Amino acid sequence: MAERLLDVKDLSTHFFTHAGVVRAVNGVSFSLARGETLGIVGESGSGKTVAALSVMRLVPDPPGKIVAGEITLKGRDLLALKEEEMRHVRGNDIAMIFQDPMTSLNPVFKIGDQIAETIQVHQGKSKREAWQMATALLAKVGIPDAERRVNEYPFEYSGGMRQRAMIAMAISCNPDILIADEPTTALDVTIQAQIMDVIREMQAQYQSGVIMITHDLGVVAQMADRVMVMYGGRTIEYGPVDEVYYNPHQPYTWGLLGSLPRLDESKKQRLTPIKGQPPNLLLLPPGCPFSGRCPYEREVCRGAFPETEIVGPEHGVNCWIPLDERLEIRANLPRFAARVA
Amino acid sequence: MVAYVIRRLFQLVIVLLGVSVITFAIMFLIPGNPAQLLAGRNPSPERVAIIRHHFGLDKPVYEQYLLFLDRLVHGDLGESFQFQRPVTSMILSNLGNTAQLAVSAVLIELLGIPLGIYSALRQYSFWDTALTTSALIIWGIPVFVLGLFMQTVFGLYLGILPVSGGGGRTFLYVFPADWTNLSVLILPAVTLGLIEVAYISYMQRASMLEVIRSDYVRTARAKGLPERSVVLKHSLKNAIIPVMTIAGIDLGALMGGAILTETVFSRPGIGLMIYQAIGARDLPVVAGGVLFATLVYVIANLLVDIGYAYVDPRIRYED
Amino acid sequence: MGDAVSAPSAPGSQASASLPAGDVPQTKPLGLWADSWRRLKRNKVAIIGLVIISIFLVIGAAEVVATDVVHVNLAPYNPNAVNYKLTPHGLGSPPSLAHPFGTDYLGRDIFSRTLVATRISLLIGIIAVAIALTIGLALGPVSGYYGGAIDSVIMRLADIFFAYPYILFVLLIMTVLGPGFRNVFIAIGILSWATYARLVRGTVLSIKTMEYIEAARAQGASDLRIIFRHVLPNSMAPVYVAIAMGIGGAIVTEAALSFLGIGIQPPNASWGSMISDYLSYFFAGRWWMELFPSVALVLTVFGFISFGNGLRDATDPKLKE
Repeated sequence: MAERLLDVKDLSTHFFTHAGVVRAVNGVSFSLARGETLGIVGESGSGKTVAALSVMRLVPDPPGKIVAGEITLKGRDLLALKEEEMRHVRGNDIAMIFQDPMTSLNPVFKIGDQIAETIQVHQGKSKREAWQMATALLAKVGIPDAERRVNEYPFEYSGGMRQRAMIAMAISCNPDILIADEPTTALDVTIQAQIMDVIREMQAQYQSGVIMITHDLGVVAQMADRVMVMYGGRTIEYGPVDEVYYNPHQPYTWGLLGSLPRLDESKKQRLTPIKGQPPNLLLLPPGCPFSGRCPYEREVCRGAFPETEIVGPEHGVNCWIPLDERLEIRANLPRFAARVA
Repeated sequence: MVAYVIRRLFQLVIVLLGVSVITFAIMFLIPGNPAQLLAGRNPSPERVAIIRHHFGLDKPVYEQYLLFLDRLVHGDLGESFQFQRPVTSMILSNLGNTAQLAVSAVLIELLGIPLGIYSALRQYSFWDTALTTSALIIWGIPVFVLGLFMQTVFGLYLGILPVSGGGGRTFLYVFPADWTNLSVLILPAVTLGLIEVAYISYMQRASMLEVIRSDYVRTARAKGLPERSVVLKHSLKNAIIPVMTIAGIDLGALMGGAILTETVFSRPGIGLMIYQAIGARDLPVVAGGVLFATLVYVIANLLVDIGYAYVDPRIRYED
Repeated sequence: MGDAVSAPSAPGSQASASLPAGDVPQTKPLGLWADSWRRLKRNKVAIIGLVIISIFLVIGAAEVVATDVVHVNLAPYNPNAVNYKLTPHGLGSPPSLAHPFGTDYLGRDIFSRTLVATRISLLIGIIAVAIALTIGLALGPVSGYYGGAIDSVIMRLADIFFAYPYILFVLLIMTVLGPGFRNVFIAIGILSWATYARLVRGTVLSIKTMEYIEAARAQGASDLRIIFRHVLPNSMAPVYVAIAMGIGGAIVTEAALSFLGIGIQPPNASWGSMISDYLSYFFAGRWWMELFPSVALVLTVFGFISFGNGLRDATDPKLKE
């Protein structure tokens, strides 16, 4: 049983704005073990990024605030730490890479500088040593001619290279956890695969845990061991990737999987997008956030959020539809008729 | 970097040429009788004839222009009909005073930088609101109105500073070397500086706010860098760039003579020289002064651009 | 975390689900202007600015209508009526019930003069900006849309106009043209086109690659039509800001010109010329002559600047929530 790195219990993060309270994250729980990859899947606005930022305590305050929950890193209560102590955690124990590497890198400083400064701050190395390490890191993430590149500026790098540089920055201090927030969304499809490889390699080398945040189910299938599906600030299904993909229980998950084109089906397949709009986070119903959009909705769905129901090995779902009904509905979905026993 | 500088120098030459063309057009093509205009007030027919010959006004237009350009390149800005003095020499003798005022005002306005930064870091606080509102009010006050106000308060009521005049000795043209020089410098410099401080602190605040919200600052925080480094290193360099360019351009503009300020305070300088020439319809002096001011302004802009490119490497590759 | 950053609302540029929504109550998607207006309303300083501008605009408009259309005097006294009885020793008389702003050295009522000057200052500001806009909105989109040589030429021209220190440039032209109401707004207007041209060109550059422009072109719309019917209207947000600031700037410039003696000439009066006129009396202790036109000037300019700034903050896409 691998070491448990991160434990998040009932996390709630709200934003208090002029227009009202935005309940970005509501009672979300997840955990991460060493060497494993957790995929957090959801649409824009599902709260996945805010959840990650909450773990790092990087939520802008005002207007955001972690209003409830527990976050434990290797037994340490992160929410109880003073800001100065938390600072030592960031970049050091937990590192994060962001979606758009162009805007996430400071344009007026050299790449080497931006990598080296993390090393200098957390490991107390001298500038020269830190720069040497930075060069080595760049080479490790696959940037050719690292000796020269380390002295260049972000705008001189291509998109893929910039993201590699960000990865180098993130792993520079051997973090236990790497959070990747949509790392390939802004990149070409061909580069995406390469970046995923780099992340996987680094994970293997450092035995870190990876939280992969994405809206792309394909990425999750490739990279993740376990997956957590978020919608409207809540977790609505979670479990090992194979389990969730082959034995999905939440109507939203069905929708997500159903909207994926499949290579093994005939050419006449139609893509079925999920009907409706993402929820307005200002006006979330007290119950299931998918209500109002769910084709199988019951009356009870809007009023209260269903408890987690275990439907498979380490596989939980939040849905009011009784289990047998669910299985029946699912059996009749064109998508799954062939797949599910 | 060198390529960038060369490109900009090339542009500079084109722009200066363009300026000469437009100024020529204004002076010689727009008026019905340029000779009359250039000869000054109530000129005698002989004088008009001399002027006509001097500027070659009976020749075809392009020849007139070439004559004009030739003179410019040799530093000949014409002659004041009032004083019968070459305009260039008039400018040079007034340059010291103007330079002193320009440098002082810019030094004062640089105070806007820390003000703006502090305001941005304490957004929505009382201080921030107070600063932003007063900046907006002061920024809109025309400089001659503010000058008047200063003269009233410090000159008339408090009586501690002179309301007009120039003189006194300087050190290196710019630094006051005695009380006379300093005392006549303070009010005009503060007047000019105050309005610019308002503008700069407002701009600096805006720039800083934008930078603080940027993705790369978020990354810096995510790396666990100390807040001091996030602000001083990552934010500052980016936030200060636009403001430094404003200050640089201001310096260039003021070197051409702060005409309104010098007029209100009756302070000798290029500005006052031009003002006086306007009243006397001494066109050569006005045009000469404007051309000089434009030259200085254009050069200042160039230097600022080069400085900008040095600090922000992306600029070197744009056009 | 609102990920939906909306571009200026243009048909077809929003990628949203077109399927009918469920019965979850939806807030209406806010268009560009609704959102900006909401943000603007929260900016108290900008609203104050707007109120000030409106007040002065109403005064100015009322003046124009009263004097030129209805031939009635809005001002309580004739602004040019000299009255030696009201100016003992030629020093004017302080504010009183009959003359709330006092009288000047010729016995003229300052309230009436300030009132009438409103019209002049505002008119100059508005006309000057109108002229600059006309030139700028003609050259700017053309420059941005066609690019290439045309763009280079127009932008070089703009560079040349930007090369001159603004007020000196205006002064030069005024020296040659001569003073007066008409020359002032011509001079200011002609010299300010470059700001608007460059501004519009910028937005045009970013818009011209958008899909709906392609669509219009595919439908066979002529270039001119595309530029002025499709591209331009969507590029206007920063221009409105520039207009507000521009009018404020033009009013200050006119005041400066009049102050220097080369703007509005007697018997007309603008705030600037009044300030210049009464300067020596001010130092002799007759403060009221100088005060009211100065306050009017400062208030008006403050109004335009605050409103302009507020407008800029409200329409800045980066600040959207």
